[in-house]
Amino acid sequence: MRVPGKLWSVLGVVPLLLVLHWKHGAGSPLPITPVNATCATRHPCHSNLMNQIRNQLLQLNSSANALFILYYTAQGEPFPNNLDKLCSPNVTDFPPFHANGTEKARLVELYRIIAYLGASLGNITRDQKVLNPNALSLHSKLNATADVMRGLLSNVLCRLCSKYHVAHVDVAYGPDTSGKDVFQKKKLGCQLLGKYKQVIAMVAQAF
Amino acid sequence: MALFAVFQTSFLLALLSLRAYQSEVLVEPLPLTPESLNVSIDSAHQYLNLQWSVHSLAYYQELKMLFQIQISRMKTSNVIWVGNYSTVVKRDPVLHWSWKSELPLECATHFVRMRSRVDDAKIPEPRFWSNWSSWKEADAQKSLGRDPLFLFPKDKLVEEGSNVTICYMSRNQQDNISCYLEGQQIHGEQLDSNVSAFKLNKVSFIRKTGTNIFCKVDQKDVIKGIVLFVSKVLEEPKDFSCETQDFKTLTCTWDPGTDTSLPKRSSQSYTLFESFSGKKILCEHKNSCNWQVDSDSQEMYNFTLVAENALGNRSVSVLFSLTHRVHPKTPYNLFLKNVSGTKATVTWKVHPIGNYSTLLCQLDLLGEGNVIQQHNVSIKENGEYLLSELEPDTEYMARVRCADANHFWKWSGSISQKFITAEAAPSEALDVWRNVKSVSGRPTVTLFWKPLSKLHANGKILSYNVTVENLDRPSGLEVHSVPATANGTELTLDQDSYQIHVTALNSAGPSPASVIVVSGDPGNEEVEEERVNGTEDGFSVSWKPQSGKAIGYVVEWCDHPQDLPCDLQWKNLSSNTTSTVISSGAFRPGVRYNFRIYEISTERMAYLLEKKAGYLKELAPSDNPQVVVSNLTSHSFTLSWKDYSTDSQLGFIQGYYVYLRSKAEKECHPGFKKATLPDKSACCQHRIDNPEQKTFVMENLQPESVYEFLVTPYTSAGSGPLDAFTKVTTPDEYSHILIRIILPMIVCVLLIMITCYLKSQWMKEKCYPDIPDPYKSNVLSLIKSKENPHLTIMNVSDCVPDAIEVIHKPEGSKIQFLGASKSLTETEFTKPAYLYLLPAEKNYSGPGPCICFENLTYNEAAADSGSCGHFPVTPEALPGQPGPLTSPENLLKALEKNYMNSLGETAAGEASLNYVSQLASQMSGDKDSLPANPPEPVLCSEYKMQMAIPLGLASPPPAENSGLSSTTPLDQSEHYR
Repeated sequence: MRVPGKLWSVLGVVPLLLVLHWKHGAGSPLPITPVNATCATRHPCHSNLMNQIRNQLLQLNSSANALFILYYTAQGEPFPNNLDKLCSPNVTDFPPFHANGTEKARLVELYRIIAYLGASLGNITRDQKVLNPNALSLHSKLNATADVMRGLLSNVLCRLCSKYHVAHVDVAYGPDTSGKDVFQKKKLGCQLLGKYKQVIAMVAQAF
Repeated sequence: MALFAVFQTSFLLALLSLRAYQSEVLVEPLPLTPESLNVSIDSAHQYLNLQWSVHSLAYYQELKMLFQIQISRMKTSNVIWVGNYSTVVKRDPVLHWSWKSELPLECATHFVRMRSRVDDAKIPEPRFWSNWSSWKEADAQKSLGRDPLFLFPKDKLVEEGSNVTICYMSRNQQDNISCYLEGQQIHGEQLDSNVSAFKLNKVSFIRKTGTNIFCKVDQKDVIKGIVLFVSKVLEEPKDFSCETQDFKTLTCTWDPGTDTSLPKRSSQSYTLFESFSGKKILCEHKNSCNWQVDSDSQEMYNFTLVAENALGNRSVSVLFSLTHRVHPKTPYNLFLKNVSGTKATVTWKVHPIGNYSTLLCQLDLLGEGNVIQQHNVSIKENGEYLLSELEPDTEYMARVRCADANHFWKWSGSISQKFITAEAAPSEALDVWRNVKSVSGRPTVTLFWKPLSKLHANGKILSYNVTVENLDRPSGLEVHSVPATANGTELTLDQDSYQIHVTALNSAGPSPASVIVVSGDPGNEEVEEERVNGTEDGFSVSWKPQSGKAIGYVVEWCDHPQDLPCDLQWKNLSSNTTSTVISSGAFRPGVRYNFRIYEISTERMAYLLEKKAGYLKELAPSDNPQVVVSNLTSHSFTLSWKDYSTDSQLGFIQGYYVYLRSKAEKECHPGFKKATLPDKSACCQHRIDNPEQKTFVMENLQPESVYEFLVTPYTSAGSGPLDAFTKVTTPDEYSHILIRIILPMIVCVLLIMITCYLKSQWMKEKCYPDIPDPYKSNVLSLIKSKENPHLTIMNVSDCVPDAIEVIHKPEGSKIQFLGASKSLTETEFTKPAYLYLLPAEKNYSGPGPCICFENLTYNEAAADSGSCGHFPVTPEALPGQPGPLTSPENLLKALEKNYMNSLGETAAGEASLNYVSQLASQMSGDKDSLPANPPEPVLCSEYKMQMAIPLGLASPPPAENSGLSSTTPLDQSEHYR
C-alpha cells in the first residue's frame, strides 16, 4: 500500500513547526510517555511483530547502500568523488541508539530514529523531485524506503504499546532544507543517507 | 527735490528687496544635497538598493534633479562605477535606486555616495553640483558566519550566453583553494587576500538540473559548492495570429519556442494585451489564448503578446480587423447521393457566420490520393454539387473546406467522404495474342491476353468468354468460359481456320470482343534470324512490310527466355509502323532475347515476318566448352567441342581461341601467335573465327611431349575464362607399331589358351591320354617299320576269360578298403571293380585266346618281362597308398606300386581273385627288363600282366568308361595270338 506524498510533505513541514513551537526540542528527544499512560492501538498488533520488525530492518539495511549510491550519483560531481567531504555521516542531531539497552529502550530509540529518518527522507524526496526530476529510479527508491519506514514505525509503535504500554514517544527531526541553497540541499541529503546507511546496519544487527 | 529723493529711495529699496529675493532663490539649490542615504543588499538578485531623500524644495512642488552616484569596492578610493540618475523630485520625497552588481555582493564590501544637481528648466543657469554625501558601506560578509570558505552566488539563474562572475571568500589567507566547473578547474582573479573572482563568459546551457561549481581547500576536508542554473534564451513568440470562428471569441495562437523552465523556476508565461480596449489577460496555455469579443462589435484590434520569465521578457504585436480574421468551422454532414457509374451528388452543411456572411467552399474530388476535380461553391448554410465525369467502379474521396467569401483568411478544416462509383461494362477489348504449336499432330492454340486496366475494366472482371468459330466448315460456335484469374487458355483445333472472339465480363456486361484468326498451318517459319542490338532503352526492332495489306504488326518475345514458361510478351503496332523499341524491366545483360515480328492481315491472321535475336548487353562467356581429345598421335591430336551450343551463351559467339602451351616448345606453331595469360605466363593462341567450327587439329607436335591446351569462346565482350588448361602427352613414334604387333599376338595367345582350356579333355585325349591308344602309338609304327607286318594289337573283345574264380572274399577287406579311401563312392565298391573291366560274359563258351596286354607306352617293365603272369590285384593293396589317388600321377604311382606289390605279395597266396585265361600269347619284348622273380602263372603257361583298376580310383566318367573300355576292345585283326 502506498501512502501519498502529502504525508511526507506534512512531515517536511513538521520540523518547522517543531522549531517554532519547541525550540529546545528540535535537536533533543523528549522523554517517553509514562508507563501508566493510556495506550490503545487502532488495530491489533501482529502476533509475530518482532520478526516483522527484524525483517523490515533487514530490508532497509539491504537497500540502504544502493539508495546512497543512487543519490550521490544523481547529484553529479563533486559528490561521487568526494564522499568523505560531502557525504560524511556527521549528522549532529541524529537520535542515539544503544545496542546493549533493553528491548524497550532499543524500540524507543528505534522509533525516534525511524521518525527522524522518515521526515528527512520526505525532505530529500521533495527536493530531488525538483532538483532531479528525471532521476526516476532515485525517486522510486526513496519512496520505497519511506514506505518500509512507515510500516516499521507502525510496528514499533504497536510493539511498544502492546508490550510496554508506551503510547507516545517524543521525537525530533532534522533541519528543514527548504530554505537552503541547492548545493546545500544536495549535501545535507547525502549526509543523511550516509548516516542512514551507517545507522541502519547497526540497528538491524541489534535486533 | 525731496520728492525725487523719496522716490529714488523707494526705488532703491524695492530694487534691493527684489535682488534680495532673487539671490535667495538662486542660492536655494545648495541645500538639495542627498540626505539620509541608506544602502542595503539584495543577495537574491545581487542588487545594491539605495534610498535617500531630498529636503527643502521650498518653492517648487516638483523639480527635476540629476543625481550622480559613485560606487567603490573594497575601499572608497576604488571607485568601480559612476553613473547619473535623473528623476523628478517632489516635495519631501524618498528616492530609490538600485544597482546590480556583477560580482556577488557577499564577496566584497561596497561603498556608495552621491551628489545632486537641479536639472530643471525652471531654474536658470548656472547650476551647481551639491556636495557629495558621505560614503555608505554595504557589507554582507558580517552575516556569513565562521565557515572557512564561502562560494557565491548561490543558485544563480542566468540566460544562456550571458556572463557570470563567481567568487569565493576564504577565512584563512593561507589556504590553497581550487575551484572546478564540470570537472575542469577554473582560474580566477584575486580581488583581495582572501577573495577571488571567476568570470564565466557566455555560459552555455548544459542541463536543466543545473551545474555544480565547487571549490575545495587543499589538505582540508572542506568543499563548498553552488549550483548555477543556465536557462535557454527566451524567444520571441513566432507565428502570432488571432482569428475568430464565430465573432464571439478571438483565438490567438503562437509558437512559444524553447521552454525555459528550470527546477524551481517555472517556464515563461504569456500575457495578451489589447491596446484599443486596454484589456489584458494572462494566458492559460503556452501557445494559445482566447479573447472574448465585446458585443459592441469592436472592429480593429491591436494585440501585444508578452512572453516573460524570471530573466526577462519578449513581446510581439499584431493589428487587424476582426472581419478579416474569420476562420470558419469545419463543414459537417457530408454525404454522397445518387452515385452511378459516372456521376454522384455531394451535399454538406456549414456553421453560419453572422447573418450576411457568405462562405466559399472548395469541393475536391480525389482519386488515389490526387485531386482530380476541384469546384468552388458559394453557400450560406447548405452546400450541394453534382460530380460528373467519374470512372465506373472507382473509389473516390470528396473533400470540402470553406472560407469567408468576402475576406479570405484561412480555409476551415476539411471534411471528407469516400465513395465508389457503380460498375459499367468493360470499355475496351482485350489485348489478345496467340501461340500456335502442334501437339500430337494437332494444332494447339494457346491464347494469351493482358488483363484490362482498372480504367477499362470498369468493375471486377468475373470471367472471360472465348468463342471459337470454324471459318472453313461453319458448324456453330464453341464457347469457353475462362476464370477471371486466368490470363489465357489453350484450345486444340484441327487444320481449319478459326476465328476466335475473346471478351471480358463483369457484372455490368461484356467488353468489346477481341478477334483473332488462327490456322492449323503455322505458315512460313523458316525465316532467317537477324541480329538486333540492345541499348539501355531496350531493343530497337525494325522490319520490312511484305504484303502491304497489314492492319498491324505484333512483336513477340519472352521476358525470361531461359525459363518455362518463358513469360511471353507481345506488343501491338499499327500498320504504318515499321520499327519500335522493345523495352522491359525484365531484360538483363547476357541473356539472348528472340523477337518475332508478325504481320496481321486483314483477315486478322498473323504471319511471321522476321526473327530477331539480340542481347541487351553482350557479356563474355562464363564457361568454356567441354573439349574432347581424339586421334592422338605422336605429332598431332584433334580437339572437338561439338556439344557446345552457341545459342545459349552470354553473347553472340564469334569464334574460339585455342591456346596451346608446352615446356618443350618455345616457338608457336604456324597459325598460332604468342599470347600472355592473366597469370603472366606465355602461350600460343590460335583464333577460330567461325563459331560453328567446333573441331581443331593440333599438328606439328613433338613426340613424347606434354602439351596443355584450352579452348575458349569469345564474344564481342571478351573471351571465356583462361584458367583450366588440359594436359595431353603425345606418344612416341613407335609405340603404335608395337601395339599393332604385340596386341594381335597377345590376342592369339589368349585365344589359344582359352581354346585349350575349353578343349582340354579333347586335347588330353589327343595328345596325352591316360591310356594311350595303341593304334596311335609311335611304337606301333616303329614296329611296323621293322618288318613285322603281322604284329598287331589285340582287341579286348578277343580276350575272353574263361571264368572268374572267387578264391577268397574276406569281408574285412572291403571294409578296410572303404575306410582307407573315403573319396570313393561306396556303392561302386559293392562290386569288385575289375568285374567291369573284364568282359565276363556268361554265355561266352568258345575258347578264346589268352590275352596278354602289352603296353609299351607306360608299362614297359611289365611288357618286357617276357612272361605273361596273372596278378590279381585286391583292394587290400590300396590302403598302403599314401594320399588320395585322384590325380593321374598318383593314380599311376598307385598302380605301379600295386603292381610291384602284386609281384611280391601275390606269391604269398593272399590274392582273392585270379584271372584265368585259357589263351596263351606269344612272348615278345626285351627279356632283359624282366623282373628277377617273375611270378609263376598257375594255369596259363604264358600270361602277361593284366591290371584291374578299381572303378573308384580311376573315377572314369561314363564317357570315359567308354574311352577306357576302348582300350580293351582291340581290333581283331591286330591282336596277338
